[in-house]
Amino acid sequence: MTRYKKQDPEITRRKFINVAMGTTAAVGTVSLVSALGTANPVFRLTPDKAPPVKGDVLVHASESKEGQIIKVSDLSDQLVRAWPMGKDKDGNNVIRKGEPNNILALYRFPKGQLVEPTKLDATVNGEIVAYSDICTHAGCSVADSDQGDGMKCPCHSGQYDPKRGCKVIGGPPPRPLAQLPIKLEGDQLVVADFFASMPYPFLSETEWEKFKKEVEEQLA
Amino acid sequence: MNQWLDDRLHISRLNDKFLRKAFPVHHSFFLGEITLFSLIVLILTGILLALSYEPSNSLVVNTFDPGTVTKPNLVPAAYHSALKINAMPFGDMLRRVHHWMANIMVAAAVIHMMRIYFTGAFKKPREINWWIGMLLLIFSALTAVTGYILPYDNYAYNTVKVVYAITGSIPWVGEWVAQAAFAGKFPGAGIIPRIYGYHIMLLPGILLALTGAHMLLMIKQKHTQPQYAKRVAYKKIVGVPFMTQQTPIMLVLALLLTGLVMLFAAFIPVHPVEFFGPPSTTPINNIKPDWYLLWVFGALAIIPSFEWHLFGGLIGAEFVGALVLPGIVMALMFAVPMLDRTTEHQYYAENPTNHPVRLAAGVAFFAMMIVLSVAGYKPELISSGLLTTGNANTILWILTLLVPAVSYFAVIGIVRGIRALREADERESLAHAHADD
Ligand code: HEM
Ligand code: FES
Repeated sequence: MTRYKKQDPEITRRKFINVAMGTTAAVGTVSLVSALGTANPVFRLTPDKAPPVKGDVLVHASESKEGQIIKVSDLSDQLVRAWPMGKDKDGNNVIRKGEPNNILALYRFPKGQLVEPTKLDATVNGEIVAYSDICTHAGCSVADSDQGDGMKCPCHSGQYDPKRGCKVIGGPPPRPLAQLPIKLEGDQLVVADFFASMPYPFLSETEWEKFKKEVEEQLA
Repeated sequence: MNQWLDDRLHISRLNDKFLRKAFPVHHSFFLGEITLFSLIVLILTGILLALSYEPSNSLVVNTFDPGTVTKPNLVPAAYHSALKINAMPFGDMLRRVHHWMANIMVAAAVIHMMRIYFTGAFKKPREINWWIGMLLLIFSALTAVTGYILPYDNYAYNTVKVVYAITGSIPWVGEWVAQAAFAGKFPGAGIIPRIYGYHIMLLPGILLALTGAHMLLMIKQKHTQPQYAKRVAYKKIVGVPFMTQQTPIMLVLALLLTGLVMLFAAFIPVHPVEFFGPPSTTPINNIKPDWYLLWVFGALAIIPSFEWHLFGGLIGAEFVGALVLPGIVMALMFAVPMLDRTTEHQYYAENPTNHPVRLAAGVAFFAMMIVLSVAGYKPELISSGLLTTGNANTILWILTLLVPAVSYFAVIGIVRGIRALREADERESLAHAHADD
């Protein structure tokens, strides 16, 4: 019908539109993904968010006694919660509770009850032991079991045995609670080193090692 | 005035198309409507709450208990505003109605879905609406969970902590996704504003859009007809028109529902923020999610711990229990219309007992959900002495598999038995009829 037969066009109209729409969609998606990046704010490691480090003093975490330095006589076979307290750049005391995963569990058992796999040289005299109080499963704060058999997590009833390195004795947690090396200096309990194994929420040893380096550099 | 409007807007066409839609008269068809009315009440009460709620987790002085000048009593602003809402005239009531209605909405949606499933209403051509319904169910649950977090008391804090951890358990990308979704490393300074945005903008928007699509498809495809319609007028649409017969029924239903929920709310408190107190490191004993997520919670409680490393990612019990398992359950539910191979269009709601396998599978499915939910009470079962720490997981696992299996065969058996009896009866009465001749 048409008198002028079109010279075969290099690209059909349909193809052109498809390519144009495809490009727009691709560019749009990429830009949206980059916008998603802004949803994730930058993390700054301030002193109140640093993990317990060498030299930190352990203080009470319970509401009524918060910030008071823990004495040996405060401890028993009932869990006592503690925060590590360090210093900021100006030398002021900072309770490191900006990171809620820093909460610690302290116990004092009669000598001889603490056994392997507890790292005994990281306890005070084989009697006082400190663990991360954060369940390695989903990060709830672990409490004493109401049955009197160790510690129980209120979230999905994970169970730990604080006399045996807080190894998992029931429920879903994948790892024991991390033990924190401590020592007695005067009448204060003082952190001797980083957690002996990776604490919640770390998932890989490499990340935990990297984080320890980062903290050491920041403090140096 | 009608004429004036009609000239300009062609209202009469709207009337023909939508307002005369026939509604089958059967009580089971009200379940979807109840879900819809709950959504409307939720939006209305939600707007009222949003007028007084302060979406921020920065610390402010608790004006109800200011502490001392040197040691002020600081609580998150969101928690403080929930206390203030409670102190307003009818404020606590408003929170309770909103919260109860959220439960009613999910419950109505679940029962509505059971109706659709057991009567075969999901079959061709209504598969798309089944899928939209599934999305509605999922997004309602998400909306309710985000709402739960808003008062930011210790309960909410512990809930969001677990939600964050579950998000973080996705292999490879989990931590990044969790930080992006919850505004930074938990508990980020922006976590409440972020969740507030989800709860009152993003998720209700999605819910409204899905609900609109659900309704339009329903109008386009028409309800399945209850069995009586077959007898009244075969292959004709039977029912009362939306305008004006169905509207008063709906109004009565909506008002009755709201009234009942208000009555409920007046007597049964919900989520007492004062009781739980502001976020703290003291754990809450036996913390539980809302009932419709209890099965996931139960599965998490009885899954043994394991970790499996794969290409630098970590696949753990938490990921499997809280995301993979519900994912499989959801996928099964999504697949329901595809398991049916009829090519005919479905006109009539089916009698569930005519499809024993479907009925039995559905019953077994719900039985499993219920057993898993009971497993969520594992700590209580242990402290009550019914189970011991040693045998709890084994027994609960056996029940999780056994109870559904037993209910499956029991249902099939009962249905077959009833049918055999009925057929025997018919044969007998036929024989007698002949004898009478
Ligand atoms: C669509 C509009 C909605 C708005 C504007 C809204 C707004 C709000 C606000 C401001 C709060 C905080 C109240 C407080 O201080 O306790 C809240 C809480 C809540 N919302 Fe919504 N909401 C809406 C829809 C929904 C829906 C569709 C659901 C569930 C399906 C839902 C479930 C909840 C729950 C469970 C709470 C916790 C209430 C409490 O514990 O006090 N909301 N909502
Ligand atoms: S968070 Fe402790 S068992 Fe799940």
